Amino acid sequence: MGQAEAGIPITDLSETADVRPGARTRLKTKDFKRNDLAGYLFISPWLIGFFLFSLIPIGISLWLAFTDYDILGDWRYVGLQNFQQMFFSDVRYGRSIKATFEYVFVSVPLRLIFALIVAMLLNTKRRGVYWYRAAYYIPSVIGGSVAVAVMWRQIFGRQGVVNAVMAMLGLDTVNWLGNPDTAIWTLILLAVWQFGSPMLVFLAGLRQIPQELYEAASIDGGSSWQQFFRITLPLLTPVIFFNLVMQTIGSFKAFTQAFIITGGTGAPLDTTLFYSLYLYNRAFVTYQMGYAAAMAWVMLGIIAVLTAINFKLSSLWVYYETDVR
Amino acid sequence: MKQLRFRFVLFSLVAALLLSLGGVPVSTARAQDVTVLPVTWWGSQTRHDRTIQVIEMYEAEHPNVDITYEFASFNDYWTRLNTQAAGGQLACVMQQDYAYLAEWASRDLLLPLDEYYESGAIDVSNVPEALLAGGQVGDHYYGISLGTNSQAFILDVDAFERAGLDLPSPDWTWTEFEETALALHDALGIWAMGYGLEDVQMWKSLLLGLGELPFVDGQLGYEDDQPIIDYYNMILRLQAAGAYATRAEQLEFTSIENSPIVTGLEVIRYQWSNQLSAVWNAAGPDRHFRLWHLPRPEGGQSQNYLKPSMFFSITAQCPNPDLAADFINYFTNSLEANDVLLAERGVPISTVVREHLLPSLDAAQTEAFDFLARVEQDFSPIFPPDPPGFSDFLNNVYTPLFMEPILYGQITPEEGVVILRTEGNAVLQAAAGN
Repeated sequence: MGQAEAGIPITDLSETADVRPGARTRLKTKDFKRNDLAGYLFISPWLIGFFLFSLIPIGISLWLAFTDYDILGDWRYVGLQNFQQMFFSDVRYGRSIKATFEYVFVSVPLRLIFALIVAMLLNTKRRGVYWYRAAYYIPSVIGGSVAVAVMWRQIFGRQGVVNAVMAMLGLDTVNWLGNPDTAIWTLILLAVWQFGSPMLVFLAGLRQIPQELYEAASIDGGSSWQQFFRITLPLLTPVIFFNLVMQTIGSFKAFTQAFIITGGTGAPLDTTLFYSLYLYNRAFVTYQMGYAAAMAWVMLGIIAVLTAINFKLSSLWVYYETDVR
Repeated sequence: MKQLRFRFVLFSLVAALLLSLGGVPVSTARAQDVTVLPVTWWGSQTRHDRTIQVIEMYEAEHPNVDITYEFASFNDYWTRLNTQAAGGQLACVMQQDYAYLAEWASRDLLLPLDEYYESGAIDVSNVPEALLAGGQVGDHYYGISLGTNSQAFILDVDAFERAGLDLPSPDWTWTEFEETALALHDALGIWAMGYGLEDVQMWKSLLLGLGELPFVDGQLGYEDDQPIIDYYNMILRLQAAGAYATRAEQLEFTSIENSPIVTGLEVIRYQWSNQLSAVWNAAGPDRHFRLWHLPRPEGGQSQNYLKPSMFFSITAQCPNPDLAADFINYFTNSLEANDVLLAERGVPISTVVREHLLPSLDAAQTEAFDFLARVEQDFSPIFPPDPPGFSDFLNNVYTPLFMEPILYGQITPEEGVVILRTEGNAVLQAAAGN
């Protein structure tokens, strides 16, 4: 007995059932059940972790969103009050939405363009190209870390490198982090600098484009620009789309940069008050857990809607070779 | 055979799982007559070292007591303590802050200390009444002050000398402050002051100097906005003249080490009196500083009050409150303990301890003790602890909607005070409804 003797892979079950229904099928089911149990037992550490630390807390946070829980007090049900406050009376909430959208809508396209340019440059057979690829990828590995954020703070500080260069060029120094007009740009620049992971994906995409197309274009006298806009870009659109979706979601969750670089309060004047940063402040500075939970669920909604829009719009510009047009 | 092996694997898997899940329960068996007393506090490394040393001294004197302790930085401390309170896991003796004392007491998380004061279990016979009052909520004492503080302006005496100016009088007014600041800036070309005037504590002090209270019955406690408008207009004038740092410049001052008084970019610094040691250490021993009274409104009273820097409280969940009281008594009254603590938490409340410590103090601490003695001659009574929702008020109204927009020139002080009143009252009332 046992599946080893039967020597039949699980996918063949229906076939064997067709041949010999009855006893054999029953045996199989019993056997299958026991194997199921063993399987669940083996993944149980993960399952327990998932239920205890992910699924159940997620459920609780949904309930919290309708309470005014403040850790010390009771879970008092307040209906839609949190959402009402968020949408109609919380001035800072509006500011955080503005800062987040500004950050996402400026940094994501810039980062993608930059990543594509670098990927094009590195898509050659020159010597040392592997070294360059690694070197350009490193910022995106360490970019989210506290150390880089601290370094960024120094670079754009009043006596930082950027101001030193500006002074050398005879320009007026700028208080980059303290000025409401410039602070968000230091964060956007940091995001653009972390172009490594979309760059790698672009590189892989560029490799997929058949060389013959370029050869044919050259023979017909197509310039490099024409080749780029007529061949590279259209064939790369699925990769661009993938990067766009992933980077948009990632950017909405930006936290560390703003927390460290501009001090964690959204200063100056809430221009760097990212959504997740404001959420953190509501939860762990003023202990308004209910309000913070409500904010988290709205953020989920915003990201879901934007992703859906992205997918809807994708049919207008993304080209799949399998599509028949 | 196969069955057997399968079962064996299953059982060992389950066993391993159970072990890993529960963790191996730490055996807490102790000798029957040993009582455990958990103590918790926040602070810096110096405070941790000194407090632990005093705990060990107490244990040496009381072999049947085992004090367990936990410490953290201020922010982590409150996150942890809030969670522990929700889970019924609070330590017996906890360090409390004036900002939270009332809220914790009103939620029945703390034990009243009155009984121990009356019985002498905690000896307060050498403590002036004004220094006990800060721990009072309603009719009961819920915390005993571990040291007294007062807000102060730290004056760079050398810079005043270089500018050819005399130190101001102890009861100087804001008008005199403005003249002094402009004169300092004219003479030295640096900021008279880097930051602090916009601090919420200064806003509260200003109201105290006017004889008003910042909060009454869960609302803003004052009627007249004009003094606040005048005060902010003064800040804006000083900024325009270059005598006071702009908000953008202020964001750069993140630690004591790079604060402008240390680097010689300002002459006056706003600070709590027990922080003078830290500033002086960072600046170096060859500099000279004095602690000074805050300026006061024209015709007003002192803006200084005596604030308990922090308290010890006994939590309501404590099974051995008598033992907790005895430890607190040792902490506040024992001369040997205070020889170790060395007023790191502020000037001790017991006059006996204070006298005893005087000879062993360094220059900064001597000045802090002396300043506290001067303030005790001329101070205003402390206002009640902050109402529930103060943290919301400060972080979501005062700073982002009132103070910053004014200092960045987005709104005028006249517009600002209206926003502060409407939005401030809204969050305070929402919190009071809990």
